[in-house]
Amino acid sequence: MARLTCFLLPLILFLAVCVFLFKGLFSDPMARESEVLAEPFPQFTLPDLMDETIRYDNRIFDGQITLINIWGVWCITCAIELPYLTELSQQGVRIVGLYYDQDIDPDFGTKTINRVRGEVTETLNRYGNPYSFNIFDVYRDTSLDLGVTGAPEMFLVDQQGIIRVHHVGDVNERVWSSKFLPVMNELSGVSNQGQSQETLGE
Amino acid sequence: MSRYSCLILSALLILLSASASSQELADEAQTRAIPKEYAENYSFTDPQSRKTFLKLTEELRCPKCQNQNIADSDAPIAHDMRRKVYQLMQEGNNEDEVVSWMKQRYGDFVHYQPPVNAVTMWLWLAPVLFALIMLFVFIRRRKVVDDVDVEARLARAEQLLKEE
Repeated sequence: MARLTCFLLPLILFLAVCVFLFKGLFSDPMARESEVLAEPFPQFTLPDLMDETIRYDNRIFDGQITLINIWGVWCITCAIELPYLTELSQQGVRIVGLYYDQDIDPDFGTKTINRVRGEVTETLNRYGNPYSFNIFDVYRDTSLDLGVTGAPEMFLVDQQGIIRVHHVGDVNERVWSSKFLPVMNELSGVSNQGQSQETLGE
Repeated sequence: MSRYSCLILSALLILLSASASSQELADEAQTRAIPKEYAENYSFTDPQSRKTFLKLTEELRCPKCQNQNIADSDAPIAHDMRRKVYQLMQEGNNEDEVVSWMKQRYGDFVHYQPPVNAVTMWLWLAPVLFALIMLFVFIRRRKVVDDVDVEARLARAEQLLKEE
């Protein structure tokens, strides 16, 4: 009996370590739980990227499912996902950009806002424009409030302004159908019982 | 023959590009020495809050670049976080309040001092438990082995004696 445990114990320990390390092979060290899920979208009052006289606040979420896309022209992956996002917006998904620029330091301003606007227009003309409008996160405070670590990131905000999905990285067809579509269907079912069955039936 | 000349040519090309890029790197390092657009001059009126700021930026972890604190990191997010730490401190928040502000948005990950709770408790308990168990096993095992050994040897010796 003692001999058996002497043999079994190291074996079990060894197997446990094997399983632990094997799982580690496929785990993403950058993946972390989002802290803002199921929380209300942080309070903000920010100008439109293209026209600073227009100002937006949390009322933009009222009664509509909104995707908030964190992006910038300096971000290559953002440009890559633009065509797919444009496709989505043509299907009736409401996408709003939360634009933040790296090259404008709030205190120094190395790049003028007019140059940024020019670059944005050029990028959107080239790859497609999925955005209903773009909010300009001037001091990147709202991005910090959202726990954004870089671009692109995508948030799904429901009709009450609650964050339902937080996705880090680009949105493609696979991510859309596995991560966003189920929540979209569920949310549109809550707001409109009659339509929910049609959406699910498709 | 053509294959050899190809090889020599490509080797030359690689060498050339390597020297060019190292030159570029040197230039970049030169310009980096005075980071104009990222010059962060955070000034404090009392030395205590300056100390707190330095401690906080060393304890807070950059969420983008693993294993770097925000004082070390040059990632844009680290710049923003340093600015935010300064801003929060200017608004009168103390050290704990700044840390919890960051934790609310980036989770426990963002602080290099993990909180003690049911899950993280094992980080401290496991080594102690391991040492205790090993000590226990060691003591028990030594005793048992000695007893068995002595008795077995005696028995064997007696047998040998009898045989003779």
